Amino acid sequence: MSARPEAGPQPGTSAPPVLEVRGLVKTYPGVTALDGVDLQVRRNEVLGLAGENGAGKSTLLKALVGLVRPDAGEIHVRGERVRLRSVEDAADHGIGMVFQEQSLVPNLTAAENIVLGSEGPGVRRGFYRWATMRRLAQEQLDKIGSTIDPLARTDSLTFAERQMVEIAKVLRIEQRTHDTPVIILDEPTSVLEPGEIETLFEQVRRLREFASVIFVSHRLDEVLDVCDRVYVLRGGRAAGEIRPADAEPGQLHRMMIGSTAPEDHYHGGAAAPPATSRQPLLTVRGLTGTAFRDVDLDVGAGEIVAVVGVHGSGREELCKALFGAVATSAGEVALDGRKLSLTSPRAACAAGVGYVPAERKTEGMVGPMSVADNMTLAKQRVRCAGPVVVPKRQADVVDSWIRRLSIRTPGRRTAIGRLSGGNQQKVVLARWLVGGDVRLLLLDHPTRGLDVGARSEVYRLMRELAGNGVATLLLADSLEEAIGMADRVVVMSDGRVVAEVPCPADGKPSPLDLVKEMV
Amino acid sequence: MSIGAAGPLIALAVVVVVFAALNPQFRTLGNVANILDAAAVLAVVTCGTTFVLLLGSIDLSAAGVMAASSLTVALLVENTRNDADYGVLGILVAVLLGAALGGLSGLLLVLLKVPSFMTTLGVSAVGLGIATLLFAGVQPGVVDAGLRGWATGRFLGFTHLTWIAAACVLVGWVVQRHTRLGRYAMAIGGAEEVLALSGVRVAPYKVAVFTMAGAFYGLGAVMVTSQLGSGVVQAGADYSFSAITAAVVGGTLLVGGRGGVLHSTVGVLLLTVLANGLVLVGVSPYVQGGVQGLIVVVAVAAAAAPLRHRNQVVK
Amino acid sequence: MSTPASTAKRSGSAAVAAGPTAAERLTSLMPVLALAVLVVALAAADPDFLRRSSLMAVVDAAAPLAVLAAGATLVVLCGGIDLSIAALASLSSVLLALWLPGLDALAWPAVVAVAAVAGALQGAAHVFLRIPSFIVTLGGMSVFSSIALVVSGAATVPVVDDTSIRWGFSRVLGTVPSAAVVAVVVVAVLALIVKVTPLDSSIKATGYSEAAARLAGIPVDLVKIGAFCVSGACAGLAAVLLVARTFSGGPTLADSLLLPAVAAIVIGGTAITGGHGGVWRTVVGALVVTLLRVGLSIVGVSAAYESILYGAIIVVAVALTLDRSKVLVVK
Repeated sequence: MSARPEAGPQPGTSAPPVLEVRGLVKTYPGVTALDGVDLQVRRNEVLGLAGENGAGKSTLLKALVGLVRPDAGEIHVRGERVRLRSVEDAADHGIGMVFQEQSLVPNLTAAENIVLGSEGPGVRRGFYRWATMRRLAQEQLDKIGSTIDPLARTDSLTFAERQMVEIAKVLRIEQRTHDTPVIILDEPTSVLEPGEIETLFEQVRRLREFASVIFVSHRLDEVLDVCDRVYVLRGGRAAGEIRPADAEPGQLHRMMIGSTAPEDHYHGGAAAPPATSRQPLLTVRGLTGTAFRDVDLDVGAGEIVAVVGVHGSGREELCKALFGAVATSAGEVALDGRKLSLTSPRAACAAGVGYVPAERKTEGMVGPMSVADNMTLAKQRVRCAGPVVVPKRQADVVDSWIRRLSIRTPGRRTAIGRLSGGNQQKVVLARWLVGGDVRLLLLDHPTRGLDVGARSEVYRLMRELAGNGVATLLLADSLEEAIGMADRVVVMSDGRVVAEVPCPADGKPSPLDLVKEMV
Repeated sequence: MSIGAAGPLIALAVVVVVFAALNPQFRTLGNVANILDAAAVLAVVTCGTTFVLLLGSIDLSAAGVMAASSLTVALLVENTRNDADYGVLGILVAVLLGAALGGLSGLLLVLLKVPSFMTTLGVSAVGLGIATLLFAGVQPGVVDAGLRGWATGRFLGFTHLTWIAAACVLVGWVVQRHTRLGRYAMAIGGAEEVLALSGVRVAPYKVAVFTMAGAFYGLGAVMVTSQLGSGVVQAGADYSFSAITAAVVGGTLLVGGRGGVLHSTVGVLLLTVLANGLVLVGVSPYVQGGVQGLIVVVAVAAAAAPLRHRNQVVK
Repeated sequence: MSTPASTAKRSGSAAVAAGPTAAERLTSLMPVLALAVLVVALAAADPDFLRRSSLMAVVDAAAPLAVLAAGATLVVLCGGIDLSIAALASLSSVLLALWLPGLDALAWPAVVAVAAVAGALQGAAHVFLRIPSFIVTLGGMSVFSSIALVVSGAATVPVVDDTSIRWGFSRVLGTVPSAAVVAVVVVAVLALIVKVTPLDSSIKATGYSEAAARLAGIPVDLVKIGAFCVSGACAGLAAVLLVARTFSGGPTLADSLLLPAVAAIVIGGTAITGGHGGVWRTVVGALVVTLLRVGLSIVGVSAAYESILYGAIIVVAVALTLDRSKVLVVK
């Protein structure tokens, strides 16, 4: 790849793009997050970035602001190849990001946040000059036409106002480059009200006057509404480019999920019994918690029900609540006709509920403990005679499950942290199976971070369990996975169940049908 | 000021009113001066602890740091043990020793990544050791008239110690409100990771905060030495804990980034008024420590209550 | 067996693959090595040290410390800390001295029971009020001290008739100090109960990863309260041993044992971050601490250095055993 000798801005169309990414690759153990991404950002444009969960969006953004170091590939800023080692580095090159989870210090004033780390004349000999600080911040806020009081405490502002503060903060990098900065907005609309979103769009259009913007959102209509061009990421690659003028959300979504139908091999045996004909095993009526309201839900024995919904739909909280890990304020839950107590995970365990958390490393497993101890953590009685642990019994149980699930481990005494992600996940799943009494499995992103081989093994296991009559509630990693695995898909939005789509082996809905309900 | 922030102030007012009603001796002007005099050392020590708490860290080193500084100052000003007579210079050295020990806690925290409650516990032991070495079996009495005057001299009816404490609180407030050190200490307690994202290196500020806290403890030790008239290993015995209690009761939360010097000072006054009033109404002074112990647990629990959720990890 | 093989290979290259490093193994053996080095060094400095009587004196001196620290080790294994043990032992010593005349042989079990309840109360406050354990036990420390001062009138309480606790300070078979036997029995019972029951994995899971333990249905709250309860009971028992040898109880009798106890725990190699370690390690730690003290006096160094040494040891030992994967932001 030839380096461009002529750095610096040039007029007209021959000017190099402000930011160019070439063949960016980033792999994590077991997963390829970025698989050779190419991307160009031009001067004063709003570039949309769309893609499903796991398409590589967040890794790409982190690479652009120096939080992730790519394994291969190049990043060029204004024609010059750069290596970004930190957020500071990125800022020096005029790239800044408005983080999804907001990166403001809540107990400082808006002005302090805006100038944080580069106070310049705002601090003299260690003492703050508040008038200067206020002026510096006001200059930034004026750029985006915000009327926030710079000396207000950040945690007294609304979410939308804090977002403005954050944009104003990122705009400070302008002074370091004296050239068009690149501002990245990561899912900026996910927690905003409709009116606030309109205001944000005005800001974005205003930003375009003096900056290039990368706008990331899972709401396709928004992306098409505000962007000049849209890149679609799929499986760690740029799957294509769209001009919103001649596109509609359906086309964009087809690019995001690919042309292939949801894979059939998820379905393994394919002869899953028609679960709807049976009495439901799990019945949820009017369940209400902090993030969900009036949820009604049934899962039959041997049925796999996938719950889908965008960020903020409340499905993760619902899943945790069914395991007693977050509090509920109203509603009834019964398992096989008996009332299920949602007071603690322990009660749920005792009732035959199993839970595989999304955060495997911090919540799913105890890394330094052995495979055997992790596997028998929830069902201690399988290795005990009375109150005493019988090592032989533990060895037998654990070894048999290691064989049954083909868990690749040097032995049952190996610390689980040393296994690959897929094998770790199988141990975590086995934890609920060793007792032989699990009736309901709550799987929160069970294939997150696993490679293809490990995924299909987890799918096979899920099928087998369903075949044995276990009811499964699945929060899938992607729509494809949800459709492929589930007998029924429940769509949640804003904390409520908004649709239920049957999903039989011989009549799978298309992802598009679901997306319509989700947004 | 919100209701929550005003809570400690209201509690202080209530306690004052109750004791004033119960005991006529409590509401004399002389007793007000007594209370402020009794609060002086704790106020200074609490200033230091407050900054550490703002970081979200904890400081258990006051006891040891104060012991070392107390012996140091007693041996450097005119005293009964040796011929030294360095006056103000000796006081300065004692304060600097405190700062050095505080800085050591901070350095160990950022370099070895050992949690602050452990580094400060260790440094406290080191300070006690230094004090015991300096003590060497013979208690050094302070002869220096200047230092003795800190406790005995009065200005406008209040002891010099009271004025020194007031000055410390003022300095602490200015640092907290108007300097980068103070603002960054707030920010580190509020969202440390955001500072890193903004390109701020937090380690030097942490060390600086612990150093400043140590200096406050050093000064507190000098004040205690003036009160007792001699250098004592036990000079700071209960101050680590009392300072944390006062700060927390005043609204400087253990989670960091909340409260401040003025909040903590209200806590100091609350504890001191409580102690003074309880003695006046005839409660054994030995009960005081226990009362403080209960108060801190209740205060921390009350502060944590709104933030509680079921799957929270508390160590 | 073809598909998973690739996964296995991948795991080999993954960042998590390596076994314990040489440094980790060395750290794990460090306590025993330190003990051996100390014994050799002391024997070299003073040949008399290897005589049976001096060795027995060391073991005898280490016993109350070992008992005190062993209980608190369980709390540390769960990821917490108990700073109240020394004050609770002082209070227990006062109670024992006060109750011996009235309760006689029932006095010491009563004291141990009261201390266990005090520990459990702290555990309950920690768990249910969600207060960090060091704050609860710091508060407990001053409450216990305060009670001890009040009930003793801030004075030493002499013991006149110590028949019923004489077992705490005598010789077994003429040579072995009974306190050492008590310590070994206590630690052995604790270790055995933990080892042969599921408590072992419950405690470790709680210490290593409380969130994961809770989501695996482990009664984390009960485990923690239990640990504090045992810690309290051990403080009570240590007080019995102390009263037996001093023929008195005092409101500050055991206060100076806090730092040595914490030092014994961390020198033994129990990680302050929880999960890793064990009660036997604490016994080794208690012996090391005691030998250091003895060693200092043999070498002729002032006792004042003891405190400095404890301070340094605590920080260094914690730094060596810290689980760094867990402390991304150290406060």
